[in-house]
Amino acid sequence: MAVALLQWAAAIYLIACLVAASGLVLRSRRLGRGAVWLLAAGALLHGFSFPLLHAQGEAPPLTSLAAASSFMAWVGTLCFLALLLRVRVAGLVVLVAPAAFLGVFLAALRLPTVGPATFAGSGSWPHAHVLLASAGLALLGLSGLASLVYLIEHARLKAKSKAGRPFALPSLEALDRVNATALAAGFALLTLGVVTGMFWVQAASGRLFVGSPHETWSLVAWAVYAVLTAVRFGGRQGARQAATGALIAFGFLFFAVIGVELLT
Amino acid sequence: MKILLLGMNHRTAPLALRERLAVEDPAPVLRKLIGSEEIDEAVLLSTCNRIELVVLTRNPDAARLRLRSCFRFDLAGDDGFPAAADLESHLYEHAGPDAWRHVLRVASSLDSMVVGEPQILGQTKDAYRAAVECGACGPILGRLFQLAFATAKRVRSETQVAARPVSVARVAVDLAEQIFEDLAGKKALLVGAGEMTEAALAALRERGLSSVAITNRTPERAAPLAVRFGATAHGLAELPRLLADADVVLTSIAGDVPLLTPGLVSAALSGRKSRPLFVIDIGVPRNADPALDQLDDVYLYDLDDLAAIADRNAAQRSRDVAKAEAIIEEQQQRFDGWFVALRAVPTIRHLRERIESLRADEVERALGKLPLSEDQRAAVEALTRSLVNKILHAPVSRLRREAEREEGIVYLETARVLFDLDEPAAADPDGADPTDES
Repeated sequence: MAVALLQWAAAIYLIACLVAASGLVLRSRRLGRGAVWLLAAGALLHGFSFPLLHAQGEAPPLTSLAAASSFMAWVGTLCFLALLLRVRVAGLVVLVAPAAFLGVFLAALRLPTVGPATFAGSGSWPHAHVLLASAGLALLGLSGLASLVYLIEHARLKAKSKAGRPFALPSLEALDRVNATALAAGFALLTLGVVTGMFWVQAASGRLFVGSPHETWSLVAWAVYAVLTAVRFGGRQGARQAATGALIAFGFLFFAVIGVELLT
Repeated sequence: MKILLLGMNHRTAPLALRERLAVEDPAPVLRKLIGSEEIDEAVLLSTCNRIELVVLTRNPDAARLRLRSCFRFDLAGDDGFPAAADLESHLYEHAGPDAWRHVLRVASSLDSMVVGEPQILGQTKDAYRAAVECGACGPILGRLFQLAFATAKRVRSETQVAARPVSVARVAVDLAEQIFEDLAGKKALLVGAGEMTEAALAALRERGLSSVAITNRTPERAAPLAVRFGATAHGLAELPRLLADADVVLTSIAGDVPLLTPGLVSAALSGRKSRPLFVIDIGVPRNADPALDQLDDVYLYDLDDLAAIADRNAAQRSRDVAKAEAIIEEQQQRFDGWFVALRAVPTIRHLRERIESLRADEVERALGKLPLSEDQRAAVEALTRSLVNKILHAPVSRLRREAEREEGIVYLETARVLFDLDEPAAADPDGADPTDES
């Protein structure tokens, strides 16, 4: 049932991608709004899959990479929808919808989750770590997507020969606001995710730091974000540098969490 | 029966004349028009750029005279009547397909001063509504205007005709909207003044730009402009402070060296974090050093940049207009077919009446000889009526279809001969209510 829900959600996200792409090319705000509504419908179905997953197994449902990617996609989508209430960035749906689709599609292919043995005696730390770190990663991913669009729009406005409005993308100011908001919230959640992860390691091994590649790279990624956040909110950075930093940092975080997991 | 359109617009008549003839409430004029024998339906579109009367008439020659008299006497009102010859030189007239094509183009904003502007559709809807409310718009013009609204919607959704700005001022607004999330609450700084900067400022204010500061070498000279825009006037000495506060800077001030240098602007931006600054330099020679563009959060556009975008948009718009014209053509053909098909209506009506009369006579005669109960008589009535409808269904449908083609007239004449319909001129719908097919 959970997998069926994920498959339905993936299908709706995919339709949202196509509608958003059509809206972008045709510069149709109506299609853009339609894509946002489809994304919301997909997120609703997607959300129902998590309690079902939880009911199915003893292990925390998100501790496999596939399930965590699904959760990240869902949180990212919800955060995007929430941001739409305050910031005019509906055009960003053209990137959020494919990201949501990929996250769910991977989960729909790779469920069920890993076995319960890994989590024996760890209490609630695995739950807390996965929820907080995934939500943080989702928000920082959203910040990265907004940054990517910002850099494209910035380059287009600077190269005057390409200015004009070929596509219905959000304004630079709105993209910068999304970048800043998602960075602030995402870094806070990532910090909590790192802390709860260390407590999980301690509960399982008796030590806060065991030197696993995942742990090491995650700490390095956190440090990168700490610097980025300090520079961004310390007022020593323009919007373009902030966008470049957010994009590079997200690439690094993605490698630290997903890449290292896959390589090891 | 013919649709006629008589009007004047921004291309054919000066503003002074259009102002004299414009009406706020079209109802009295329309009531008077449809009160005349030669006009069956009428709609009056009166905007600042055009005054047009669209009428349905059975007597086009008389209607032409009546419309001219309406322009000269009814619309001119108390301001004195324009000379007939003078008025005639400013009028255009369209009849038949040209008239409804014109209505479709007007509603779709292809005939507007600024092609693609959205107001004309609302104004056309208002004109239609006013005509319906005072009983001047009947089923035929009603159908035409509904089609015009649908056409305008198609043009808007299937082409980009309204999406690309083609004036320097509008390009500036469009760029500002790509930089800023919302112009409401944003602050503009006008350095010097000029026709184009004022136009750009006015366009930005229309989109919500809230406060304006004007700086000039002599603040006293900026004062009248400041009053016009509800702005504050300052001397050039205050430029660094004003720059730090501004979101949009419009410059057009005389001077041989650039006034806005990277040093000045960098210093002004130092306390702003990542807030962008949009600089529109319309000065000749330029007032802003081109090196400003190297600053990340500064978006500098000079007159050439804006004009180049406007030109590109104009070229794209002309391609979009061609697409829109194709939509108009398609919609016009739909109305052509529908309007031509109206001539089948009298023949079909006469055919139905003739057959119904035969049926009723025969049934009455037969029932007079048969001792039937009320239920049985009703059943016979229903049976014969159903038979007649079934027999007539195919020929009537065929007549309607054929009537949409020019050659379909042969079918109508054949039907009249075959069924001995007694009006030889029945192919001409004059004198008949074309919507009454019962």
